[in-house]
Amino acid sequence: MRHLRAALARIGGLFTGHRADDDLRDELQAHLDMETAENIRRGMDPDEARRKAMLASGGLTQAGEAVRDQRGLPWIEGIAADVKYALRALRHGPAFTTVVAITLALGIGANTAIFSVVRGVLLKPLPHREGDRLVYLRQSADGPGAANLNFSVPEVRDLRNGAPSLAGIAEYSSWTMIQQSADGAERINVGLVTGNYFEVMGLAPVLGRLTLPRDDGPGVPPVAVLTHQYWVKRFGGDSSIVGRQVTLDKKPVTVIGVLQPAPFFPDRVDALLNMVNSDHHLSATMVEGRSHRMTEVVARLAPGATVDQARAEVGAVYARIQREFKEAYDPAAHYRVAIIPFKEVLGERARLTLWLLMGAAAFVLIIAVANVANLTLMRGVRREHELVVRAALGAGVARLRRLLLVENLVLAFLGAVLGVVIAIGGVRLLTSLVERYSPRASEIRLDGAVLGFMLALSVIVALLLSLLASLPREGSFASRILAGGQRLSGSLRKQRLQRALVVVQIAASVVLLAGAGLLTRTMVRLADVDTGLRTEEVLTMQVPLLTPAELLFNPAADPAAKERYDRMRREVAALPGVIEVGLGSPMPLRRSDVKFDVKAEGKAPAVGEALPRAELRTADPHFFRAAGIPLLQGRPFATTDGPASGKVVIINAALADRFFPNEDPVGKRIAWTGEVLRFAPISGDWRTIVGIAGNTRDGGLDAEPAPVVFMPFAQFLAIGGGLVIRADSNVERLAAAATRIVRRIAPTAPIENVMTLAQYKDRSVSPRRLNAALISSFGILAVIIAAVGIGGVLAFSVSARTNEIGIRMSLGADSARVQRMILSEGGGLLAVGLVLGVVGAFFAARVIQGLLFGVAPHDPATFLGVAVMMAAIGLAACWIPALRASRIDPAITMRA
Amino acid sequence: VGEKLDVKQGTLALMILKTLEVLGPLHGYGVARRIEETSKNRLTLNYGTLYPALLKLEQEGFIKSEWGQSENNRRARFYSLTAAGRKQLAREAREWHQTAELIAAFLAPRRGET
Repeated sequence: MRHLRAALARIGGLFTGHRADDDLRDELQAHLDMETAENIRRGMDPDEARRKAMLASGGLTQAGEAVRDQRGLPWIEGIAADVKYALRALRHGPAFTTVVAITLALGIGANTAIFSVVRGVLLKPLPHREGDRLVYLRQSADGPGAANLNFSVPEVRDLRNGAPSLAGIAEYSSWTMIQQSADGAERINVGLVTGNYFEVMGLAPVLGRLTLPRDDGPGVPPVAVLTHQYWVKRFGGDSSIVGRQVTLDKKPVTVIGVLQPAPFFPDRVDALLNMVNSDHHLSATMVEGRSHRMTEVVARLAPGATVDQARAEVGAVYARIQREFKEAYDPAAHYRVAIIPFKEVLGERARLTLWLLMGAAAFVLIIAVANVANLTLMRGVRREHELVVRAALGAGVARLRRLLLVENLVLAFLGAVLGVVIAIGGVRLLTSLVERYSPRASEIRLDGAVLGFMLALSVIVALLLSLLASLPREGSFASRILAGGQRLSGSLRKQRLQRALVVVQIAASVVLLAGAGLLTRTMVRLADVDTGLRTEEVLTMQVPLLTPAELLFNPAADPAAKERYDRMRREVAALPGVIEVGLGSPMPLRRSDVKFDVKAEGKAPAVGEALPRAELRTADPHFFRAAGIPLLQGRPFATTDGPASGKVVIINAALADRFFPNEDPVGKRIAWTGEVLRFAPISGDWRTIVGIAGNTRDGGLDAEPAPVVFMPFAQFLAIGGGLVIRADSNVERLAAAATRIVRRIAPTAPIENVMTLAQYKDRSVSPRRLNAALISSFGILAVIIAAVGIGGVLAFSVSARTNEIGIRMSLGADSARVQRMILSEGGGLLAVGLVLGVVGAFFAARVIQGLLFGVAPHDPATFLGVAVMMAAIGLAACWIPALRASRIDPAITMRA
Repeated sequence: VGEKLDVKQGTLALMILKTLEVLGPLHGYGVARRIEETSKNRLTLNYGTLYPALLKLEQEGFIKSEWGQSENNRRARFYSLTAAGRKQLAREAREWHQTAELIAAFLAPRRGET
């Protein structure tokens, strides 16, 4: 209270200066008069009385100063004066101010933008209640495709019984359904969840209610909870949606509520349904099949329980069930469960990229600060005279330090204000990049915390700049004044610091350039990758005639499906310009999620060797020609490979190499195998290989081709169908006509992913391209700043050495020699910076190894190219001051 | 007569408050004289010490001031104690006594030591 009151009085004191000053003068004068009068009364003569009184006062001016300090907040007044002064000084050097502000704005802006993304995606607390208590369980095993196996219902049951540290275990199963409405049909992604899902996740509804344990089991009404995003997108945020019915997979489902905005996990999802929506999820295969793993598991730690406790308990459960159910856990595959904090799982895919960008931005900031420090140092030399005069007039070193700090703060804040503009643009760009990696991209924003980060960054930058600007030591001022103003060129120490800063800039630029080079080369390598098919002029579209559930469990639901697909094919093929139309699924360059183990007749796997797991794809007789996939051996499917004829397959080269390395595979037999077949509408019968197709990069350009088994489209509609249309030119123009045909033949079926193969290919590399582009632009930015830095330092050095150079020239040094001298000065700095940079890049490249493809992290060509480029640009930057040095007229400099 | 002492921070405020309590409203000169006399001239107060202290007490709300006429008809600023100042004086005096006793006890020659 007392301090508050005093503080308020002092703040008030800031604004009452003049009036209070008059008052104070009167008061002190009265004191002096009274004391003088008293002295006279004691018998002194008036002059002596006054002198004595003055002496006792200790000085009226000093007293006035002391009271003023007590009255207001002297440091604020001092800083206000400093700010005023700093602004004036910066206005006087507009070029300096502009360059510095822009440089700092780039550094601060880039860092702020990327920090806001890192914060939104990786650091911010989850919107879930006590989100840090949520964990994700991941079951994995050795072998391809077994990095995340999900869980089966019996496994979840065992976990519930055996892991008390997990207070709630929620099940989530990804599914797709067709939603029919008056204005057409669309496929939606849904999650089938247990009733405790929302309770465990700690999420609340914005409308209506969420599912509860009473929504579990058979015989309950099917209900749906819409995600916030889907509710807004599809229903325009209409609150009357609660209680309405929607048609999913041809059956009515009641919407009971809308979920709060929350990150999607594990996939983008439109609605969350109770299990009764899927017959399959309540069937015996699902509920009893221990190896029927299609459930994601999220759990909430019990109060007081730790992740380690949960790990121990789950480990014990797994040790037990692996002994008990040997048939479901192949000992060679080492089944295991990892327990990962939910927040970490959400950030998993974005983490490496984001830290890469954050690191790159930090480098840009280092370079920017080094450059600005150099500029201020040079300016400081010119200002040395002024500082010396100020010191002579009574400003202490502390006072000058504060003045410089205030100047630097003003500069940094100027940079920060401009940086906000850059950050706003940057955040927008980055959000679109991060959306591909993280379900939390919608949480990215420039909020208070980010602006706080920016402010802190600016203050740190200002402090750094102030520390680097070395002031003369106390007491050395006098000698400098005696030395005379004009001779105060940069001290040796200062020059050494400038050089060190230039070296830092060059080294950091090299690191950035090397990163950019490696990522760009990765892009080039990816673009060179042979997709295995001719992607030009091919349009694809998926047309699911059956719902996903029907496909899997009741393919006979639409007996006319095959005939309708054939009609679409024939009619589209009749469009002008069309060369070939094929039917199949999934579309080329799309990963297939349907994978089973395969075995070859007469080829028992070696002990401990896992069977290959192959993608199941379908193709009709025209598919390979339409997609441009070469048939290496054998024949394509024929129209005679119908539903009733013999079971035939075409396998790709990867699988052929695996099973039949030195044999002719045509005519050999393979079969699907494994426990999972019991749950799939597919038989383990032997099938005869009739052809070998070339490998295609369906899993991404950077992924090795997976083994594939093609089955005749006519024999197997269970994974859906789509059209592959090859035309002679401008295939995009066919999209409208083909869509019209499909819509006429199948009015209620969704038409999905109408895209050319070139678009598919492009889409698979675009995040990497954006990545490479960002790092490259950072690299180019860095090189420009560094080039300006080294050029500036040399120019400064030349102007400081004008006299010396003049003397050299008058003593016979020709201009070529002077040029060489200056160039070698710059070359030395460049060389040191290059060496340090290459060493730094070597380590940095190892960190980003995971983002590279087809390039070694220490790729000599990249490193050499970067070094040559940096050296060339650096030398070019040195050339200008060197040229200026060589044009110095000795006559003029000597006379001066 | 003894040596001259510096006024310790904090004690000056206490002296000013006590002076105003004893003598009632008083100008700065009067306060200074009273403190110097009470200390038998071992303390001298220059303006740069006294007036910031008066201002600080006023800012803290322990004293208030107004312009008035001095005994010999001079215009002077008179300081007087507020209610909060009275309370503060009592509190500080009590603390000071306790501290003084404590220090005295500490510094007293112990039996057997001399």
